Amino acid sequence: MFPTPLEKTSRQWQISYQVLLPIMLIIWLLPLIAVANFSIKPESDFVNGNYWGIPSSFDAFSNYGKVFFESNMPRYLLNSLFITIPTVIGAVALSCMAGFALGIYKFRSNLLIFFIFIAGNFVPFQILMVPVRDLTVNMNLYDTKTGLVLFHIAFQTGFCTLFMRNFIRALPFPLIEAARVEGIAEWKIFLYVVLPLMKPALAALAVLIFTFIWNDYFWAVVLTQGPTAQPVTAGITEFNSQFRAAYHLMSAGSIVAALPPVAMFFLMQKHFIAGLTLGAVK
Amino acid sequence: MHSILKTSLAALVAAGVTASSAAADAHALSGELNIISDMSNPAPRAVMEGLAADFGEMHPELEVNLTIVDREAWKTQIRNALGANPPDVVNWYAANRMRPYVDAGLFADISDLWAEPEFEALASTKGAMTLDGAQWGVPYTYYQWGVYYRKDIFEQYGLEEPSNWEEEVANCQTLLDNGVKCYTIGTKFLWTAGGWFDYINSRTNGYDFHIALARGEIEWTDDRVRQTFANWRQLIDMGAFIDDHQTYSWQEALPFMVNGEAAAYLMGNFAVAAMRDGGLDDSKLDFYQFPVINADVDFAEDAPTDTFHIASGAQNMDAAKEFLRFVTSAEVQTEINSGSGLGQLPVNANASIDDDKFLAQGFEMLSSNAGGGIMQFFDRDFDAEMASVGMEGLQEFMVFPDNLDDILMRLEETRQRIYN
Repeated sequence: MFPTPLEKTSRQWQISYQVLLPIMLIIWLLPLIAVANFSIKPESDFVNGNYWGIPSSFDAFSNYGKVFFESNMPRYLLNSLFITIPTVIGAVALSCMAGFALGIYKFRSNLLIFFIFIAGNFVPFQILMVPVRDLTVNMNLYDTKTGLVLFHIAFQTGFCTLFMRNFIRALPFPLIEAARVEGIAEWKIFLYVVLPLMKPALAALAVLIFTFIWNDYFWAVVLTQGPTAQPVTAGITEFNSQFRAAYHLMSAGSIVAALPPVAMFFLMQKHFIAGLTLGAVK
Repeated sequence: MHSILKTSLAALVAAGVTASSAAADAHALSGELNIISDMSNPAPRAVMEGLAADFGEMHPELEVNLTIVDREAWKTQIRNALGANPPDVVNWYAANRMRPYVDAGLFADISDLWAEPEFEALASTKGAMTLDGAQWGVPYTYYQWGVYYRKDIFEQYGLEEPSNWEEEVANCQTLLDNGVKCYTIGTKFLWTAGGWFDYINSRTNGYDFHIALARGEIEWTDDRVRQTFANWRQLIDMGAFIDDHQTYSWQEALPFMVNGEAAAYLMGNFAVAAMRDGGLDDSKLDFYQFPVINADVDFAEDAPTDTFHIASGAQNMDAAKEFLRFVTSAEVQTEINSGSGLGQLPVNANASIDDDKFLAQGFEMLSSNAGGGIMQFFDRDFDAEMASVGMEGLQEFMVFPDNLDDILMRLEETRQRIYN
């Protein structure tokens, strides 16, 4: 069996594994530890060159207080929600329907359309920067949340459809045939037969897209520019003044910005596991 | 009604009736005044909003519309903004940075404002606001550059503020003998090296030569330019600068000075706030003007100036000019540059400044001891592309001084490509 279970390996290997694991973990987490450490330091530590040491005073309250009460951070967080949630709903809803059509019906250009959806995923999104920016400006959607949401939905639907179509394909087709025999309308089959079976896929996809969009920095910078529309990933740079980078506030802001996707993962963990076992039991 | 007003105003402007300030004062300002500002950071933003509100209050019939754009974003938006449906007043920078908009006819010529007696108080930046013999904007703030040094370290080794190059080099040798670097610098983002070049070149060859070089009128391989680099190299060969400076940003270079491993920093006045945060109070920190190198040339100082301009397509020229008079007046400049506002220097020589050691020395230096002229800093005086190639060369020179010939050849090729 590969990999060999740890219990079956030699004692020396078990010990070195147990020693190496925490070390590797710490090295891997070093950047995050640094950011967490930076976020509770006073500004003077950065001028003194005390980057990695113990904070000279514990300033978590004042740093995080500034993030929440003396900056546009709450505004940016709200923007992120207003961008992420509609995108998740829009992309998942569209891809469910597209996936249903591509997975259930047999029509001539079925495969072609499916390939077009997949092909979209192979386009490196950076090369779309200039045309998308121009398109948004021409549509008067530049620097608006709507513009960002529409673009994200359009772009994420490709990947979501691939995911959904394959999931629906794997469902037992006799279920749908049975429903048809009963004379149920096609849209009702989608709503009452297929959709309930897709719950684990919906949950998994929603969590995935939520983190994708929440963590998006590139399009946030390209398509928006002020506190009216920018999400939190782009808004963090607001802590920089004209001449100085406020590392302590940016770190505190980054931690706050990273919390929602982390929370999302832990809250939805059950759905991940439910999704995995559901597939296995069949 | 509204459009009639606009047309009649435009007609007045076209006829040149409104040229004198008396005419503007005679009838109340009305209509709209549209301002686009790039003062987007929190403190400057509050200042700008205060300015617009105060001006609106002084002219109740005038509707002042203020739009604040992100400072970085504005650098790419200004051309669009000035082209289609232009506002009346915009923010920008002095000197060569105005060049593209002056050449494209997007900034209004406001030489008539500068001819008014009140504007004599702004004489220190008149040169920086002049292109092709006319003035194109007004300054509202600037800040000095110079050498910030550890007073306590200087006292410890019995050193005085140097006034000429020999004293400078002698000071540096003493510091090095005691294991202290003379200067901290972080050239990772290149521009800090530009400050050193500005000072050594203008002290060696004078302001006029420096600006001629910036305009592309002088070859980089000229012997006078080589002399500048020879002077600079004296310091580099002594080991005056901290090691590995190409890996630090300007902020990351601060700890060397705060911890006493380096004694001085050639920097803009914005560094003072950071140094004070690091625990250097006024007993440990002091300032001196960059010393004389060539006694035949007058002091020229780096003082990057932020400005207001009128768009050539402005709809309300009267109000725009009145706004420019307003922001350059001694009272307004005193207020907006105070510690609670921008915390920088007013340009108006009649303005007063906060009780701050460094602001006081800077104001004194720029108002009365910068006879050569005010430079805007390397990346504002030189053409943008020349500046970016140039600063890379300067950084390379500081790390590998032996590559000088190569670097100068490269800069010269760039100059010929850009300016010819």
